[in-house]
Amino acid sequence: MSKQINVALIGNPNTGKTSVFNALTGLNQKVGNYPGITVEKKEGVCKLPRGVKAHIIDLPGTYSLNASSLDESVVIELLLNKNDKDYPDVAVVITDVENLKRNLLIYTQIKDLEIPTILVINMSDRMAYKGISLDIEKLEKQLDTKIALISTRKGKGIDNLKDLISNYKTLSIEPCLNTQDIDTAYFEGLKKAFPNQSLYKLWLVITQDVNFGKIDRNSIKDASDFKTKSNVDLKRLQQKETIKRYQYINNALKEGQTIDLNSAKDLRIKMDRILTHKVWGYLIFFLILLTIFQAIYDWAEVPMDFIDSTFASLSEWTKNVLPSGAFTSLLAEGVIPGLGGIVIFIPQIAFLFLFIAVLEESGYMSRVVFLMDRIMRRFGLSGKSVVPLISGTACAIPAIMATRNIESWKERLITILVTPFTTCSARLPVYLIIISLVIPEGRFLGLSYQALTLMLLYLIGFGAAVGSAWILNKILNIKSKTFFVVEMPNYKLPLFKNVALTVIEKTKSFIFGAGKIILAISIVLWFLASYGPGEQFNNAEEIITEQYASENLSQDELNQKIASHKLEYSFIGITGRAIEPAIRPLGYDWKIGIAIVSSFAAREVFVGTLATIYSVGSDEEATIKNRMAKEINPVLGTPLFNLASGISLLLFYAFAMQCMSTLAIVKRETNSWKWPILQLTIMTAIAYIVALIAYQFLK
Amino acid sequence: MNDIIQNILVFSSLAIALLFLIKKFVWASKKKAAKACGSNDCGCH
Amino acid sequence: MTLADLKRGQQGIIKDVSSKDIPLKLLEMGCLPGNSVQLLHLAPFSDPMYLNVNGTHLAIRKETAHHILIETTDNE
Repeated sequence: MSKQINVALIGNPNTGKTSVFNALTGLNQKVGNYPGITVEKKEGVCKLPRGVKAHIIDLPGTYSLNASSLDESVVIELLLNKNDKDYPDVAVVITDVENLKRNLLIYTQIKDLEIPTILVINMSDRMAYKGISLDIEKLEKQLDTKIALISTRKGKGIDNLKDLISNYKTLSIEPCLNTQDIDTAYFEGLKKAFPNQSLYKLWLVITQDVNFGKIDRNSIKDASDFKTKSNVDLKRLQQKETIKRYQYINNALKEGQTIDLNSAKDLRIKMDRILTHKVWGYLIFFLILLTIFQAIYDWAEVPMDFIDSTFASLSEWTKNVLPSGAFTSLLAEGVIPGLGGIVIFIPQIAFLFLFIAVLEESGYMSRVVFLMDRIMRRFGLSGKSVVPLISGTACAIPAIMATRNIESWKERLITILVTPFTTCSARLPVYLIIISLVIPEGRFLGLSYQALTLMLLYLIGFGAAVGSAWILNKILNIKSKTFFVVEMPNYKLPLFKNVALTVIEKTKSFIFGAGKIILAISIVLWFLASYGPGEQFNNAEEIITEQYASENLSQDELNQKIASHKLEYSFIGITGRAIEPAIRPLGYDWKIGIAIVSSFAAREVFVGTLATIYSVGSDEEATIKNRMAKEINPVLGTPLFNLASGISLLLFYAFAMQCMSTLAIVKRETNSWKWPILQLTIMTAIAYIVALIAYQFLK
Repeated sequence: MNDIIQNILVFSSLAIALLFLIKKFVWASKKKAAKACGSNDCGCH
Repeated sequence: MTLADLKRGQQGIIKDVSSKDIPLKLLEMGCLPGNSVQLLHLAPFSDPMYLNVNGTHLAIRKETAHHILIETTDNE
């Protein structure tokens, strides 16, 4: 008989939890969100021996059940709620053989919840290297569970783990710690007040402010033989609890683990000596960043050119094959160029996510946090703000979510507010196309001018983030306790499978998330550009034919004139010309204006919009870039995209807050409309002023 | 005939696109997050 | 002396932590009385401090280190 059991993977960060999840589920996984909150929910399916199917859920990494972040409270809320459809039949706690002592803390807590618990000791391939030997039988007896010794790197022990999961019913559910031992009088009273409940669960409700069945923190009040305690006293008890748990763990490990320090080798110390060095550390960090940008620019060029020309010919092909009419035009001039505008950036986005995944997986990111903390603090940020600021180069949305592990609220708020300045991948489309139009080719010290411009734009973004953080730190009057703890995990060679899955998953969600919006917008835009009200639009043919009757124009030239006249008097043309006075000082025409307005939803729409606008009314096959290069400024008669207007556009996009999804996330993470609205107003104002100054100086 | 079909297709895709955008941006921002972090040291961050 | 006074490479034993000023998370990572601690590296301006506490490698700020009382175990 086939049945499905729920399995929850739990463990400290940096224990290879995700590798275990990937090893169990392979490609049978999906990533979603917990309802109502933006914590990532990873789940997958795994076939076990004897026809049992397991639904596996990878819970966010947490050091203990004492939640200190939104991600961590997800774990405790699931484990306290027996009615949740994901409530685990069996919990699998994953530990790293090198950090067994600390990793076991959460194991003792999960076990005390009386959930069948399997212990996984991962990275067993490193045991000999670190001089560690384990007596699994003794450990199983001491810790009262079944242990799977595995190595996800070498692919060992996974079958044993599957076997243990399918036999979960034989596991003991005896708690490790008698909760009453923490403070006899206090817990005796609690037991009398709630005679039928597990003391440990009640204790979690008291200390964590979570619900448990119908019981919440407020329902635990003073009773005749129970007195509540102050927060300071509760914290003292939590400390006592932690000490007791470590005593239990130390006893167990004394029996089952021996470490021969003489045969232990530690590469970490040697690598840290260089990577966290006062000079070399920073130099290496800078070189890594430089390599990333050069790579994104150079490596991605070939596939991008290929995609660009493919979409241009696809559009041409559609026009020739399908019967001519309004819908065919919609496909050829609206949908296909619009889609091309997003597909073209797959190579770069994939590269960017690849580098970020490697930096995270290898453990290097923590060293950056360590190196940067003191410097960042001067600007009101935390060393941990470096991670959002770097992942902000991929996308501000996950970056803002990554601020959750910043302990101080003020530092966290400032990080959230300034992260959108960093150059996200959605700005890349805009940057790349404009750079290739206005920045000359050539090399300086082996780096191309175009790559250097891009690097400069990244630095501007980073500088704007840090500069505004400094100002915010002076202005914001928030008293906030600050502390800072960061684990420095051992260096690891990133697992290919983990990195590949991250890159595929992130790129996919970026393309499909943004892609749908861009597709819809390009349909609407095509409509607005192809239909218009009034005489000038509907009688365009007659008006133009009459106007140029004296000149001997070929039919082709005449058609061109008609098409651009129609575009000018279409809905979009009318809107564009209405806003033109506001953007003319920046060096833009109304077509760019439309692209800027439509890209308020998402920046990458800019290129798609221009592609749609420019392809409405042009016959020949041409890439977006060629069409843009041919545009002429109606006032000056020079190419529309020259150095002045190009730089002005680049700077506008460097500073403007043009992303609805980011605003939505900021609203959610700060729980107020005040911050996102402030962010939008100030960033747009800065963008406008800087672009204005740049154009007026350069023109 | 061809023209009519093409026009029907154009307007229906326009309607779908508009509906999608409205759903995505107007409706989504009205739907409030069920549980979010407060604006102070609430302990959940 | 406190953890903040430790020199690079020096080792010590944690004597007391004032639980009022120390986040629970740090305790859970092993910063408990009786455990050993070694200062591995310092960032510029001696802050933050990169420690090995009871086998766990972690970094904390100097202001937090002031609240952890220790006793050195090696004589330099």
